[in-house]
Parts: sequence; structure tokens; C-alpha cells
Amino acid sequence: MRLFLREQRPVIVIYFIQLAVVTFVYWLDGYRNAAVSMYAVLLSSCLLVGYLVFRYLTHRSFYRRLQEPAESIGDFTDVKPSSPLSESLHRLLKSQYRHYISELSGQTEKIEGHIRFINQWVHQMKTPISVIHLMVQQESDSRSVAIADELDRLRKGLDMVLYTARLDQFEHDIYVETLGLEKLVRSLITAQKRLFIRGKVFPVIEMEPQLSVVSDEKWLTFVLTQLITNAVRYTLRENGKLYFRAYAKNGRTMLEIEDEGIGIPESDLPRVFDAYFTGENGRRFQESTGMGMYLAKEICRKLGHELDIESEEGRGTLVRMKF
Amino acid sequence: MFKIFIVEDDQGLVKLLEEYLHKFDYETFAVTDFESINTQFRQYVPHLVLLDVNLPKYDGYYWCRQIRSLSTCPIIFLSARDGKMDQVMGLDNGADDYITKPFDYDIVLAKINSHLRRAYGTYAAQAEGRPLQVQGLRLDRERLCLFLHEMRVELSHTEMKILDELMIKSEQVVSRDRLLEKIWDEQIFVDDNTLNVYVTRVRKKLSALGIEDALQTVRGQGYRLVPSWENTP
Repeated sequence: MRLFLREQRPVIVIYFIQLAVVTFVYWLDGYRNAAVSMYAVLLSSCLLVGYLVFRYLTHRSFYRRLQEPAESIGDFTDVKPSSPLSESLHRLLKSQYRHYISELSGQTEKIEGHIRFINQWVHQMKTPISVIHLMVQQESDSRSVAIADELDRLRKGLDMVLYTARLDQFEHDIYVETLGLEKLVRSLITAQKRLFIRGKVFPVIEMEPQLSVVSDEKWLTFVLTQLITNAVRYTLRENGKLYFRAYAKNGRTMLEIEDEGIGIPESDLPRVFDAYFTGENGRRFQESTGMGMYLAKEICRKLGHELDIESEEGRGTLVRMKF
Repeated sequence: MFKIFIVEDDQGLVKLLEEYLHKFDYETFAVTDFESINTQFRQYVPHLVLLDVNLPKYDGYYWCRQIRSLSTCPIIFLSARDGKMDQVMGLDNGADDYITKPFDYDIVLAKINSHLRRAYGTYAAQAEGRPLQVQGLRLDRERLCLFLHEMRVELSHTEMKILDELMIKSEQVVSRDRLLEKIWDEQIFVDDNTLNVYVTRVRKKLSALGIEDALQTVRGQGYRLVPSWENTP
């Protein structure tokens, strides 16, 4: 209604100016009967009001559509056009919608193609990595050890690529089951044993046995691996310990991973889960991409777990997961 | 001797696998023509199949079904795909196990051994390959025993693993990290001090066989087993 009135304001203004001009011309001509003039004004005003009412009624849906924001892309199709203007607007919107949709599906296809490519590429890279891995496995000279360490980094990098690409299609790629927490953590630690041994960090498990969580093993493994990698990487002193604690509290299962590392500066703490945020520690240690913690948080959100972090600079970091 | 049929299109990987398996007295056949895996299988009649998933033309799942129609021998998938669905697909198509790349030699060997033992039971002893032997010192991995001539000592699982690594690389230096890696498993995580304790125990077991000073500490590097004992009984 308001938009309609605003739209018609020039017509109303022009109409009254025109009325005044005509009355003035007659007045100059010497015709000075105020009652008849008032009558003419009243009559033509009635006509104007009639026109406006008619106009408003026929264009009501049109104006309403202009004023209310669309709920979704396909929202406008259910409104019936009742005048030439609204009909042509309807046609315009429809054709735009078609263009938009075709462009969008083209883009979606491109992105999907890209993700497929990345998936395939990562898997192709795994065979050469296997070959190098086997070649250096039986050797124990320092070069082979160094190559093996670099290979570990390559594998982690590839995994990161894979999981980032998969994140958008999370819903198609999830398999929820009940997992024994202690067993999961133990097998994870064993899988990362090289990392622990090289970093001279020792894992300590303080868990209530029999605790289990409902989650997707693959995604959860990725998140925990990420947390463990960070914890070990930022524990600089030798024989540091990495504590794994699990307990039930208020009906929820908690898993804590606490290191004795360098900690995170307080100013960086609120932003550690932001994408591409590397912070002070990231700048001091070369290989930070700032994606690890972001991915971890994002995956936890999708899995319905909570992830938070406490840290004191120089004392260590505690990451807590609530299932 | 057990015959292993390898279907994998990466020649580098095949070569390394073959070399490793030959060390443990397995006979291998690597497929090079991926059009007629069936025929080659029928000619070779292997005891076990290692099968990749991504293959030219048809995938591993297809060949797994084909092989299943010919034989009930153990089939182990080797694949870069680590998704749960891929593993389920593999097992659904008739495979017995699934190993994801990149893998360790130890895992492949352990899985091959265990499937052979399952499938051909009575040959169990043969499936374990030769006992490890350095100048008359023999390590029986299965029974956790160490022999020198007629003498014998029993070992714990961890002591066996340490000796295994040292004897395979006898006369070479084995780093502490390497030994730690060997003996870590899901039940025991070992730190540096614990490793010292285990090494001392291994020395005691060796001296029970009359071997002294064979296990040397190389400062800053690790340990070395020098065969200093007499070979002749």
C-alpha cells in the first residue's frame, strides 16, 4: 500500500496542480462561482480516488510481491499476473530465473567435477607414496628416515586436501556407528607412533574404559589425528607428555587431549578455529596452513560434537570434545 | 612353496612387493596383461591373490568376482581408497581382506601369513617362512624362543621383536627410534627408559646362551648386533 501511494504520488500532485490551474484560468476569465468550482473539484477527486482504488486492486499482488522479500529463488511462480505490467515483470523474472538456474547448475557441475578430480588425483598420488614408503621402510640410515618423515607430511597434506574437498558433500559421506572410545584412541596413537617417537612425546591414557560415542569413525579419526599432530608439533621439550582423558559428565561423554607444549597466545585463542588463521605459532612453525583447526571444528559441528580449546602460553593446551 | 598372484598396475610397487615376498620364500606372479587376468590365473593356480582396485579396463571388484568363480583361494585387496564403502564393496565382491595404501611390509606379510594359515591350515609352519638365523643363532618368532646350537631361552613378545629387528640387520646400526617403533603397539606405549630396560633384558637372554658383548650400544645412534659367537657347535 505504501509503495503504491509513493508510486502514484506524482499523478496525484499533477492532478491537483492541473485542477488548480484550470480553476485559476476560469477565475481569471471572470467566472467566480466558488460553489460550482468546489463541486467540480469534488467530482473529479472522486474520479481520481476511483481510478486509484481500481489501480490498486488490480495491481495489489504486483505491489505486494515488490515489497516482500522472496523466500527462495523459485518463490514468484505461484502469483497470478493480472495486468500487463505485472505480467511482463513475471515473464522477466521467469526468464532470469531460467538463466540463473542454468548458470548455477553449470557451476555446480564444474565444482563436482573438480571435487571428483581432486579425489582421483589424491588417490593416484597414494600409489607413488606407497612405493617410496616401501623403498625407505627397510633402511635405517638417516636419509631414509628423513625421507620417511617427509612422506608422513605428504600423506597428511593429501588427507587434508581430500577431507576439505569432501566436506561439502558431507551428508553423502557419513556412516554413524557406536565406537569404543579407548580402542579408537589407542589405535590412533599407534597409527601416529612415528610422530610420537620422533617428537619424543609420550602419550598417557587416563580413560574410563567402556566409554563409547556415536560418531563417524573416518571423520572423527581425521579430527583427532589433526589434534594429536598439533599437540605433538607444539610440544617442544623432550619427554613431554600428551594426556588423553575421557569421562562422562551430565550424560555426555567428554574427551580431552592436553599437551605440555608452548600453548597459544591469548590474543590468538578466539580465532584458532577460523579458516586460514595461523596465528603467532603458525608463523613460528613453517608448515601451518591454518586449515587444520578450522576443518576440525567444521567437521565436529556437522557431526554434532562440540569442540573447544583452553590454553595458557608456555604451559600447554587443552582441547575438549563433547559428544 | 606358496604361490602369490599379484594384480597391480604400478610396476614399481609390484617389484618391491615381489622382492620382499621372495625374501620370505614365496613364489610370485605379477600380471602384466590386464585383459586376460582369468586365463593367467588358471594357468598359474596361486594360493593367494593380491588385487588392486583401480585397474585399467575393469576394476578390481570385477576381477574379484571372476576369480571367485574359479577358486576359493584368499583374495586381499590393496587399494588407495580408504572409504568404508570401498572396503564393504571389496568384501561383498568376495575378497577376504582389505589393505589401504600406503601400507607397511609387516602388515602385508602378516595378512598373507594369516590368510594362508586359515586357508591351508596344516601348512602353518611353512607359511611362516624360514626361522631367522644369524651364525647359528636362531629366532623362532612363533614360539618366542631363541636357540643357539642345543641351548634355548624363552623370550617375551617385546624381546622377540627387538631381536627380530637386530638380527635382520645384524652388523648394522639400528636406531633407538626404529626399535621403539617396532615395539609400540596398542597395548604398550614405550618410552626411552623402558627401551633401556628391554635392551638389558635382551642382553641377559643372550648371555644365558653364552653370548656376551654381541649387542653393542652405539653412542648417539642406537644398537648393533655383532655376531661374535662361535658358529661351530
